[in-house]
Amino acid sequence: MATMAAPGARDLRVVQRRAMWALASREMRRVLGLWTQTLLPSVLTGVVFLAVFGGALGPRLDVAGIDYVRFILPGLLVMTVTGQAFANSSTSLFQAKNEGYIEDVLTSPMRPWQLLVAYMCGGLLRGWLAALALWLVAWPFAGGVEQPALTVLALVLTGLIFGALGVITGMWADTFDQHAFIANVLITPLALVGGVFYTATRLQQPWQALTHVDPIYYLVGATRHGYTGVQETSTGAALIVAAVVAAAVFALAVRLLDRGWRLKA
Amino acid sequence: MNELERQSAALRVEGLDKVYADGTRGLRGLSLDIPAGSFFGLLGPNGSGKSTLIGMVSGLVRAPAGHIWVFGCDAVAQAAHARLQVGVAPQDVHLDRFLTTREVLTYHGRYFGMGQLEAGQRADELLEVFDLTAKGGAKPNRLSGGMRRRLLIARALVHRPRLLVLDEPTAGVDLALRRELWAYLRRLHTHEDTTVLLTTHYLEEAEELCERVAFIRDGQLLAEGTVEDLVARYGGDDLEDAYVQAMR
Repeated sequence: MATMAAPGARDLRVVQRRAMWALASREMRRVLGLWTQTLLPSVLTGVVFLAVFGGALGPRLDVAGIDYVRFILPGLLVMTVTGQAFANSSTSLFQAKNEGYIEDVLTSPMRPWQLLVAYMCGGLLRGWLAALALWLVAWPFAGGVEQPALTVLALVLTGLIFGALGVITGMWADTFDQHAFIANVLITPLALVGGVFYTATRLQQPWQALTHVDPIYYLVGATRHGYTGVQETSTGAALIVAAVVAAAVFALAVRLLDRGWRLKA
Repeated sequence: MNELERQSAALRVEGLDKVYADGTRGLRGLSLDIPAGSFFGLLGPNGSGKSTLIGMVSGLVRAPAGHIWVFGCDAVAQAAHARLQVGVAPQDVHLDRFLTTREVLTYHGRYFGMGQLEAGQRADELLEVFDLTAKGGAKPNRLSGGMRRRLLIARALVHRPRLLVLDEPTAGVDLALRRELWAYLRRLHTHEDTTVLLTTHYLEEAEELCERVAFIRDGQLLAEGTVEDLVARYGGDDLEDAYVQAMR
């Protein structure tokens, strides 16, 4: 057996790229292997929301001139991507840290941004697959997509923001309670008050103003614009803000991983 | 010190200081050379700084004050290069419970840049060496304590490191298995030119395996040399006597 010699700079990049894809494949395999825990519940939740709000209330409601099922579906897609991308990244990293096997990747030659991308891959796959499944179930009732590129772009940005936030939360949490706290007290309420089920123009103050400071509101607005053609906020501004937020959260997560924040002694 | 001198050492540390967030002083100006190709024992009581040093070498402890070179690579400035040359079997058994025993090895190889096929072949080779082939499809939590310990050492070897760091590898392992591991480590060191850094509380293990031994206490180097050097310096019949004297 020959031992490994120090590689050149180009070889090192190949090594690091392979390492990143190995960890990303491990993360994605975990999502697919545990699909009854990672994918099914969120799809069922979305379907129940559609059935209860769309089926029961829908016939009596007409929001922004469109059918209520069609109105809420884009928000449910955002809510699904938000929750699942966040939950997967945070849970996977938290488990690796809590059970100690994160040492295996922390001692590897991967760069911090590669670690982040690899951990986010599982969350992105989970969020987007769950949203795709929900859309396929709802499509016969909610109709087709007006602007697919805009819809996909908004959902991509949603996944990037909340996947990176999940990684930061996984690093921060020392206990499962702390980990669950962020999901239950921050992410879920933000998603629910982000205009998924209503239009902010119908709200009284201060609720309207509060809705406008919820970042998910803009992601829902952009996705709804893409899906239905109905525009409540400036979609261009929403996408720019979302891209800036995604870049900022990504940069923060890289910085924290580089420092080994709450991962290294 | 010139570049050639640095590269002649598998591990060279100079003036390492580490203070943890809670104020605990892990290391106090530790300087140490581990010659390339040696089997080196690091002995000291609990809290002496052994695991801190290993954590720094492997990248699990944040960059300290001082310098660390692994085969001439600065372990902080050239961290990726340095890490590729180090394999670590930690003291505590932490294995990814979502993977099978074979996958623990193949994924580790891939985390260190091996292709999928190469990592698979290497995993099969190591499963055989460590008598774990029959357990290749089992999850780590289905293995006995001794098997998990062997798997940890196998994992550290997957990417063919030049420096193998073993942090108390035989803690809690029965005597028969301990002797098997000794035989394997001797073969690895002799035939494959791997430098081994071993920490242990079993003095007879260090005496049996190590060509050179260092005593550390309170994050400082007390003495370093061959077993014979240390016995001559501190007195007594064997390494255990010398260690006890040194730690007084």
